[in-house]
Amino acid sequence: MNGVVEAAAVSKWYGEVLGLNAFTASFGKGITGLVGPNGAGKSTLFKLLIGQLHSDQGKITLLGEDPWNNVSLKRRLGYCPEQNQLYGWLTGQQFVETLLRLDGMPPAKARQEATAALKVVGLSGAAQRPTRGYSRGMRQRAKLAQALAHHPEILILDEPLSGADPAGRVHILRTISDFARDGGHVLMSTHVLYEIERITNNIVLIHNGKAIAAGDIHAIRALIDEHPHAVRIETSKPRQLAQALARMEHVVSFEFPATDTLLVRTRKPDAFYRELPQIVSDTKLEVQGLESPDDSLDAVFRYLVG
Amino acid sequence: MSISLPTYSRLELPLLGRRERVRAIIATGLRREFRRPAAIVVTVIGAAFTTITSIVLLFFAPLFLPGQPPDLTFFAVPASNGFVLFFVSLMAAVIGAGLIADDMQSMAFTLYMSRPITQTDYLLAKAAILAPLVAMVTIVPLLLTALVAALLGRVSWAIAVEAMGISLVIGGLLTAFYTAVTLFLSSLTRRKGIAAAGVFAVNFGLTVPAGILATRIGNPSLLYLSPWDDYVAVASVAFGATPTPIDWLAALAVLLGVTVLAAFVTYVRMKAVEVITG
Repeated sequence: MNGVVEAAAVSKWYGEVLGLNAFTASFGKGITGLVGPNGAGKSTLFKLLIGQLHSDQGKITLLGEDPWNNVSLKRRLGYCPEQNQLYGWLTGQQFVETLLRLDGMPPAKARQEATAALKVVGLSGAAQRPTRGYSRGMRQRAKLAQALAHHPEILILDEPLSGADPAGRVHILRTISDFARDGGHVLMSTHVLYEIERITNNIVLIHNGKAIAAGDIHAIRALIDEHPHAVRIETSKPRQLAQALARMEHVVSFEFPATDTLLVRTRKPDAFYRELPQIVSDTKLEVQGLESPDDSLDAVFRYLVG
Repeated sequence: MSISLPTYSRLELPLLGRRERVRAIIATGLRREFRRPAAIVVTVIGAAFTTITSIVLLFFAPLFLPGQPPDLTFFAVPASNGFVLFFVSLMAAVIGAGLIADDMQSMAFTLYMSRPITQTDYLLAKAAILAPLVAMVTIVPLLLTALVAALLGRVSWAIAVEAMGISLVIGGLLTAFYTAVTLFLSSLTRRKGIAAAGVFAVNFGLTVPAGILATRIGNPSLLYLSPWDDYVAVASVAFGATPTPIDWLAALAVLLGVTVLAAFVTYVRMKAVEVITG
């Protein structure tokens, strides 16, 4: 038992709903991706790890300690929640600074570290703007900045790429990689396998509250390639963007579920994500956000769990 | 040739203590309240209205209160000013009801609790945000009334200073009661509207029926159910005025008991709270 995270038969119920079902896994050093569809139990696991939920059964440790009501352990971790924000009227700078003050950082140092963290995530230019005016991707980066700013040992990131624009994704992934390269540990959840593939081979698949597979990403990826992967793109000109994307051979279909949305299905998600920024840049079309619905991953999970 | 791998090192800083961390929550909370027009309006109007009506009573005491001597007992009148009850309820509802409920609803609580602070720190900070604002209605008007009375020569400075001291104590009691009860109600729900309704229910839902029933059936013991009547009973005796129909000591015990119980239950509840969504 010397992993960064050790979970032994951990169960968590929300009333009659089972959030985690005898979840057992050991996460090692470096970056670990936790992949699963929405409702699989990813956020529940993370809440257990940061001590905001208490397990009903089993034992879970983070950095060798029980996280429940463990105040000193919180100094060692940086948490980036999926949806939360503090107060929208706070500027990015104030947002990070406020949370650093809660760590006990002196005001001048908090200001300095907040500025540095916002620079790392590429938000220096927007640091003095209220966060309520941020795009979803910018909010993700601001949350990543507050998670990083106090120099934790481990980052726990709940869907950090959700809704981020292409440029934001690059920034976030680069920041995470740099953090891990410098010796930090990262647990990152996503329901899109291809997002995490860029920064680690070490993943845990979670479904219905159970760890159903763990280890190398490539074998699982091969399975997923058999199922077209869906990407929902928010853009003001979905038809023009579809025209531009049509030249990708691996794109299978387009749908237009809303006037500002394009749904693309591709057989090679990794190539798609790699080529998309260039196409967007060449065509000068604006992309407000990217999201991958669960259905492609769901198909793989159905396959894996029989 | 040697290869050195990068090693990550934590930032080692002389971190400030718990008091500073609580202060950071208070500062953020107060900044939040002073950005809300409703909070500013209620605080300013509440403080102004209760102060002005108390001072008006002072000016026209011979007219409104014939036979009222200009001594310490006079200050029981502004202390039991009905506008205090109204505005303290309004402030508790507008400001206090959302202090915890809003954080739960917006999931800001998740971010707070992901930092090295305890639930006690969080609750102390929330109480420290609400209490001074409630005191603007429960304590400040009484202090100003005593000050103005002394400046105008209506009472001696010795009496005014004594009145100020008593005002601090009984106003503090009322402030503590409303702070504890409001935070308790705010911790029960994610919807501040429900907590605000609870504040009004505790005040008027108990005060009005208790008053009516006590008169109708001739049993003043029912007034113990009304926090306002408990407070007035204590205030009257504290200023040496005619006692109200209920025993001040029992009334004080009710107020203190409810305050401590509300604070304790809120603490236990927050200690065990789990952040379910987000």
